[in-house]
Amino acid sequence: MTSAPGRPADERAWLDAELLAWMAEPVWRDDDARFDAIARALFAWQFAHCEPYGRYCEARGVTPDGVESWRDVPAVPTGAFKELPLRCFPAKRTVATFRTSGTTGRRRGELHLDTLALYEASLLSTLRGLLFPDLGAAEDARPSRIAMSILAPDGREAPDSSLSHMFEVLVREHAAPGSAHAVHGGRLDVDAVAETVARARSRDEPIALLGTAFAFVHLLEALEARGHRLACPAGSRIMETGGFKGRSREIPRSELHARLAERLGVPEQRVVNQYGMTELGSQFYDSVLVDPYGPRRKLGPPWARVRFVDPETGRDVAPGERGMVVIHDLANSGSVAAIETADLGRAILDATGEPLGFEVLGREPGAEERGCSIAADEMLAGAGR
Amino acid sequence: MSDLTIRWPDEDAERIEAARGRLELAGQGLARRGFESVMAVLAEVFDRWHAPDSTFRRRLVDEHAEAAGFSPQLVAAGLDLGLADWDGAALSRAIEQERRALLAEPGRALAPFASTSIVLGGAIPMPSLLQPVLSLALLSPVLVRPASRDPVTPRLLAESIAAVDDEIGRAVEVVSFPADDAACLARFLASECVVASGSDETIAAIRGRLQAGQRFVAYGHKLSVAVLDAELVADDAQALAGAVALDVSLWDQQGCLSPAAVYVIGRGAAEAAVRFGDVLADQLEGLSGTLPRGGAPAPVATDIVQERDAAALRAAAGAPVRVHAGAGTSFTVVVEPDAEWRPCPGHRFVRVHPVGSGEALSAALRPLAAWLSSSALAANGALHDELCGRLASLGASRICPPGRMQAPPIDWPHDGRPILAPLARAALVDPPEPA
Repeated sequence: MTSAPGRPADERAWLDAELLAWMAEPVWRDDDARFDAIARALFAWQFAHCEPYGRYCEARGVTPDGVESWRDVPAVPTGAFKELPLRCFPAKRTVATFRTSGTTGRRRGELHLDTLALYEASLLSTLRGLLFPDLGAAEDARPSRIAMSILAPDGREAPDSSLSHMFEVLVREHAAPGSAHAVHGGRLDVDAVAETVARARSRDEPIALLGTAFAFVHLLEALEARGHRLACPAGSRIMETGGFKGRSREIPRSELHARLAERLGVPEQRVVNQYGMTELGSQFYDSVLVDPYGPRRKLGPPWARVRFVDPETGRDVAPGERGMVVIHDLANSGSVAAIETADLGRAILDATGEPLGFEVLGREPGAEERGCSIAADEMLAGAGR
Repeated sequence: MSDLTIRWPDEDAERIEAARGRLELAGQGLARRGFESVMAVLAEVFDRWHAPDSTFRRRLVDEHAEAAGFSPQLVAAGLDLGLADWDGAALSRAIEQERRALLAEPGRALAPFASTSIVLGGAIPMPSLLQPVLSLALLSPVLVRPASRDPVTPRLLAESIAAVDDEIGRAVEVVSFPADDAACLARFLASECVVASGSDETIAAIRGRLQAGQRFVAYGHKLSVAVLDAELVADDAQALAGAVALDVSLWDQQGCLSPAAVYVIGRGAAEAAVRFGDVLADQLEGLSGTLPRGGAPAPVATDIVQERDAAALRAAAGAPVRVHAGAGTSFTVVVEPDAEWRPCPGHRFVRVHPVGSGEALSAALRPLAAWLSSSALAANGALHDELCGRLASLGASRICPPGRMQAPPIDWPHDGRPILAPLARAALVDPPEPA
């Protein structure tokens, strides 16, 4: 496939520069026209340079010339990232590949990147905006670093984990001395977490505990078994992410947050869930740190937008109604920006019906719905195959 | 005036206790009546259910369709097929045959459990009709918790038994309570024998609550497949596709007897699979009109869209994958280029795989063997025999022609076990020593 007529040959560079400039702005502004213009230009680029995506769109009768709004851009399912490399550049230019977690023998989704610049700019801007709004820039009078305990392996141990990479970047940019990873060789070092918290407490400085939800469950169980509590200093925060799929234990998120508050001394209003996925360049965070008195909902950067789609019709649902989560993430410039997730969600509206953010809804128990049949992939996942 | 509801905290648990008390008396009644008398009543009940114009069957069509989210046409068709061979004679034959085997040796006796608790699962009425009856035939009164998606069948069964014989009808108590009500669950499970159908998690949770001496009979979640000789597909794809489409469509592919995948086997399998996929899609389209699918829950519809679109993207990337999709998510056929297992969300979503040989079929199904329930099989002669052997050795407990998957006989060894023996308590009585 070739570039659409009239497009500059270095349009990808132009697109990335536009996005980097947006990500560098200190204050986020929702800008419909800006988003739409970049989204459509990015679609034209991806249509032309990611051959399977281009053909997929053509098979649906959608071409760049016919797209009047970013909402018309066809989304690819997250499952497709397990099937084939979706990239807009030659494989030899790949600088990083992040893979979804998975058990041995199962396909894993892959996000290939030819640059980390956009990826890192997006995640840092979003972390600063939604998880560390109180941290200052380097030249700012406010501290720009905070003690961190990372309940996930570091990038050397998990080189293909996007989460570990995110934490690496975060540690590099914002971690105070003494911050440490607390997962090594697949084991959670509870003592290391306790020591990092104790050090922060001795200095009366807040700490950030960040990791997977499942790692926090392990931490809670270990502390509960010992009868210990960690008293995190005021201003501390927790960020947990990921689900429990394929794990032996699953607890509701509200219960997890309540137990974290009770055992770690971090109020629930400062426990933040991150909604992200390997296939995306951007992430979404609970609103609690930036709007502690508003409803808990997910917020993201202005270069990532979310639609809720009726799976039966493929059309957007009415505002506030439940639908399949479709994300248009302009930070995915080297891959495919429009992603159809397997999650359900809905917009959270204000009193006038304007969206304030969104929430991801739990999947209803599948077993009862399916009767005595069950998707064999769930069986296989359960068996660890 | 405020709207105040006062709820007695143990109301449901008390209701279960009361049901247990009634069952104790009912158990004495069953013992007094004896096997032949009880069996005659149960046979009469099944004869009534077998009759297409029976009141209870009509009520089941109306009430179950609404409760379970099936179309009434589908429930009617499912019952027509499922109950076609389920009459009183078939029930008596199946039970007496096993009972005779249990009592074959001199000195053998059956000692009924004082009560049997039955946790039903899923939305398909056939197992809910049969399971309580089997325990009753062993003279054990039953305490039944209906599945959340089928609150109707156990209640109608109990009514239908009482309509034939009030005393035997009193030996069935149907109780509902929230799944997370631990007090109710503890009281409910306090039977000498517990039977449960459900997911691995449900089974494990129930098993963990039982005492060492309790009998536990569990039926976990399963899946089924269809295997078709490529030559037969070439000969008459239309007929085979019609039969497989019925197997897929009945109960909206929510039962463990529904095929999740079709394997076309033998020489020319790839071409035959493509041809079969085309025709199967046509047949499913036709059944969408005559046996409309119920609504798919949003998470399932989302999974269907994901799987469809991922297949479409693979096709766009040049893989020989074909996707046939009905309106909305009404049905989906994905013709795959190989035998590799891929997710099947159900609700009339089926993949068609070519497979070169019996050996390749075994290799493809081996990872699923622990969950394989049944297989439709269309093959003749030596290939039929070979594939029967392979499927049985992989754990398939039933192999039947396409179109018959949703019509297991009463004596089908569910999960490979006899139907009565797991529910029976046997004793061996030695003759007295000579004085």
